[in-house]
Amino acid sequence: MLRPEVISQLQKIVGKENTLTSQEDLTAYSYDGTTTWAHRPDVVVLPTTTDQVSQILKLANEKRIPVTPRGAGTNVSGGSIPIRGGIVLCTTRMNRILEINKANLYAIVEPGVVLQDFNLALAKEKLFFPPDPQSFLACTMGGVVSENAGGPSCVKYGVTKQYVLGLEVVLANGHIMKLGGLTPKNRTGYELCMLFTGAEGTLGVITRVTLRLLPMPPASKTMMAVFDDMAVAGEAVSNILFQGVVPAKIEFVDNFCIKRMEDMFHFGLPTKAEVLLLLQVDGSPAAVDSESEQILEILRQSGAQVARLAKDEAEAAMFWKARSAGFAAVFGAAHTVLAEDVTVPRDKLAEFIRRCGEISKKHDVFISLIGHAGDGNLHPSVFTDIRQEKHFSQAQKAMEEIFETALSLDGVLSGEHGIGLEKQRFLKRAMDPVAIDLMRKIKRILDPNNILNPGKIWEEEGDD
Amino acid sequence: MTTEADFREITRFQSDLDQCMKCGFCTFFCPVYQEERVESSVARGKIMLIRGLLAGELDYTKEFADKLNRCTLCRTCAVNCPAKTEVPTVVVAARADKVRARGVSFPYNIIYRWLLPHRILFGNIVRLASWFQWLFLPKTEGTIRHLAFFLSALGKGRHIPQIAPKFLRQMIPEVNSPPAGVEKKMRVGYFIGCMTDYVFPDLGQHVIGFLTRHGVEVIVPKRQVCCGAPAFLGAGDFDTGRKLADTNVRAFEEAEVDYIISDCATCTSALKDYPKFLADTPERMEAYGRFAEKVKDVSQFLVDILRLPASAYEPSEEAKGKKVTWHDPCHLNRYLGIASQPRQLINSLPGVKYVEMPQADRCCGMAGTFSLYYYELSKRIADKKLDSIEATGADIVVTGCPGCQIQLIDGVMRRRLPVKVKHIMELVK
Repeated sequence: MLRPEVISQLQKIVGKENTLTSQEDLTAYSYDGTTTWAHRPDVVVLPTTTDQVSQILKLANEKRIPVTPRGAGTNVSGGSIPIRGGIVLCTTRMNRILEINKANLYAIVEPGVVLQDFNLALAKEKLFFPPDPQSFLACTMGGVVSENAGGPSCVKYGVTKQYVLGLEVVLANGHIMKLGGLTPKNRTGYELCMLFTGAEGTLGVITRVTLRLLPMPPASKTMMAVFDDMAVAGEAVSNILFQGVVPAKIEFVDNFCIKRMEDMFHFGLPTKAEVLLLLQVDGSPAAVDSESEQILEILRQSGAQVARLAKDEAEAAMFWKARSAGFAAVFGAAHTVLAEDVTVPRDKLAEFIRRCGEISKKHDVFISLIGHAGDGNLHPSVFTDIRQEKHFSQAQKAMEEIFETALSLDGVLSGEHGIGLEKQRFLKRAMDPVAIDLMRKIKRILDPNNILNPGKIWEEEGDD
Repeated sequence: MTTEADFREITRFQSDLDQCMKCGFCTFFCPVYQEERVESSVARGKIMLIRGLLAGELDYTKEFADKLNRCTLCRTCAVNCPAKTEVPTVVVAARADKVRARGVSFPYNIIYRWLLPHRILFGNIVRLASWFQWLFLPKTEGTIRHLAFFLSALGKGRHIPQIAPKFLRQMIPEVNSPPAGVEKKMRVGYFIGCMTDYVFPDLGQHVIGFLTRHGVEVIVPKRQVCCGAPAFLGAGDFDTGRKLADTNVRAFEEAEVDYIISDCATCTSALKDYPKFLADTPERMEAYGRFAEKVKDVSQFLVDILRLPASAYEPSEEAKGKKVTWHDPCHLNRYLGIASQPRQLINSLPGVKYVEMPQADRCCGMAGTFSLYYYELSKRIADKKLDSIEATGADIVVTGCPGCQIQLIDGVMRRRLPVKVKHIMELVK
């Protein structure tokens, strides 16, 4: 519990209306998108200016109070859970789009801007910010940068870090620091913007982001392909990229998800398909025509039972809506869902899918696969029930083996969700110990009192 | 502390409570969250609070009730929820369990339990209050403001039409037959919403007149009472809800009608919600179900059931040659799926130019008792709606709910917009 004078100091900084202390509010800020993690903070503050953020951190640093930065709380890593209590610093009321600069293709936003609001504002100007985490309806830009978010479009356009031009960050001691600039090329000193991008709020609080934009591609086409074997579909994806065509999106949905989506939403998807691939190309109308033909040809040659263009705009929209409903389809399917985001090199995708099938059999747990096949980023979901001890431990073992399999195929632990709390236990196996030690040291320089999002990413060994 | 039995209503909707997987997509759609941007405003937050209640972590505190009340029940979260979680249903159930555990506080107990079932008396008290509103309302935010639901709506700064000098039920006979020479096609009951009764009695007269002229015999059972929406949906007072429901069901059963027509979206939807929320016995389930089946919104009745030829519709004097836009009441669009019928009706009026407003189905923020508890918040939600209305350049904004009408009139007057607010039936001659 925080002392009353700390609360009243916080109230003085952000105003009473921006300080939440009721039991109800503390419960409402105890969770994120994960199924098993929760912890209440002692207080929630909703600053509206950078200066307020600075004062909050100064106070917290002085009093050694943990501060967990949070946007919309949509992450699925446990990253925004105040696991040590203290202050939740919620940025949802810092939600202004400060500038959209068409001539120089950049935008400056506050951290609480919702990605979809940003997308809508950009669309009016025929501009485009490609990273598209499937939480786009809710997630905030501060979170997008702090988690270095990805999404379907990243196969062609890359992840968030490729779009961060500049940041304003408040450090643990309250200092306000400006990094980067407005230009896409900037070779001034260390790439400090990258240090805070993907840092999961452990190094500073991002209060302003300058993002690189692209012109909206004038045309796009959606395709679908049906396969009767997951591994064959995986090979088809490699074949497409190998032949030099880069679709904007290549998404992978397994039979289980197709059926769930149909049960829930009646989209009209082919329920007998073992695997459904959804692809999109974008660019000039001529390029889109020729690339889509080329892709369909490759898909057929690679063994697709069906490979065709979406009949019309409506069908294309239906396919993408179905894909974004994948989260619901998976998470609603069992009491506890262990959903991960391991990523393997593309040419190992087929092998990885095969091994997931073996793991499922070995531990007698159901594993569903959905994900961004184009960049080898899959979301295997293990269905279980945390209330059934035996089954849950089997599911956890299966998940561990999935991680190990991905690592043994030269893949990574997390493609886009981040480590947070969810994958902490596996970090040691996935990262050079020297590098983990370096992370700790960097953290200690920037946040010597370990107040910023403590207890995340690596496991503490009594040294915090 | 609470006990298991205190969650009787909530646990009836356990699957909805369990279904939410906390994706947070509701934040994008929730009109309350869009203004407040705090987690407890939004569906996901409310689900987690109710889960916390069931887990014994939270209790029915004043703060808890406040969080439950900060919801317009607009259902936008539910229709956009990837997991199809009916959060508003769970919120209503939680309001009900809170009432069961803690009772209805003064003065709402008086209003809901004693006044709502007695229409004329309630109406007279409202009128009495309206005479004196200048005396005490502008200054007091506290006690007086909370005297009655209507009183507060008339309160500080809110522009609403005067309480009618004569209520609808005092103006119309129980049986309204088609005029001489018009063949009788059908016999329907007319449900009088409180707003129509006390504030827009002309609307009711107009609807009854239109129906009878087109061969519909309209029965207006005298014994009918308030639909109960403010009591059972707004306050979670299911006992009062049942009393009102039983009275209404009996009143219309005795009238032996083919359909029950209402010109108020909220009433229509609330009447149809009797079986879902209030049926606590098989007998009630059966009776409420039969009743709910017959209830139709007036635009739905005209377009889908009566199916008049287009020539039957002529614009009223004030609608002729005007640009008209439609605001979807939540209770028509998202609760009953009625969206095309009113638009079709407007489009069939010769000389009336229909223009669709952006986000026509966005909640206007009225939500009955919600706007009483949270007038400032309600106004901010209305502001988004007013922006949409302004963007159309329409002369008239029409809707199908007198509740929305009051909210829109207030908004239009606050902004001094040259726009008239009308019920859709007022467009039709």
